[in-house]
Amino acid sequence: MSAHDLVIDALVGAGVATELLCCVGLVVARDVFDRIHFAMASTTLPPSLIAVAVLVEEGWTQPGINALLVAAVLFLFNPMIAHATARAARVRRFGHVEATDAERRR
Amino acid sequence: MNVWLWGATALLAGFAPCGWIALRATRADALVGLEVTGTLATLALVLMAEGFNRASYMGVPVVLAFMAVVGALVIARFLGRHL
Repeated sequence: MSAHDLVIDALVGAGVATELLCCVGLVVARDVFDRIHFAMASTTLPPSLIAVAVLVEEGWTQPGINALLVAAVLFLFNPMIAHATARAARVRRFGHVEATDAERRR
Repeated sequence: MNVWLWGATALLAGFAPCGWIALRATRADALVGLEVTGTLATLALVLMAEGFNRASYMGVPVVLAFMAVVGALVIARFLGRHL
């Protein structure tokens, strides 16, 4: 096995392992706000590691650039989903988005 | 089987916890599970496209990455009060 293959194996293995860890975190988290942290973590490091693995394998060709595009889309657009989900969950729990009196006093 | 296809197969196991959340937790939690499922499916498709060595397959995860974002955003923004 060459160093090139080892690097790809390590990158793919790390990407898949961190993604699965985020899934486990989703289950053990207490509420929706904690779960959002794990959901957003799953869109940062794992896609980047897998995109780098594809780039190492393919170079700057169509598959490599597409993999990089996927990682960029997941990284840039998922914070919008996190914000919208947290906002919806807060409205559902408190009836409004603004801070409560108890939160203001803290 | 190569490392890409093993990785894609392992990622499919991640659907189980997301499905468990969708079935057992609140609807807001289920939405978070849906978001993670979209990420998992996108990455599994990237790995499968590379594993089958078909460059044209790589267009599918690119489209799914956009569509998963739009789908989750629509649910969170317009159906948020019913979560």
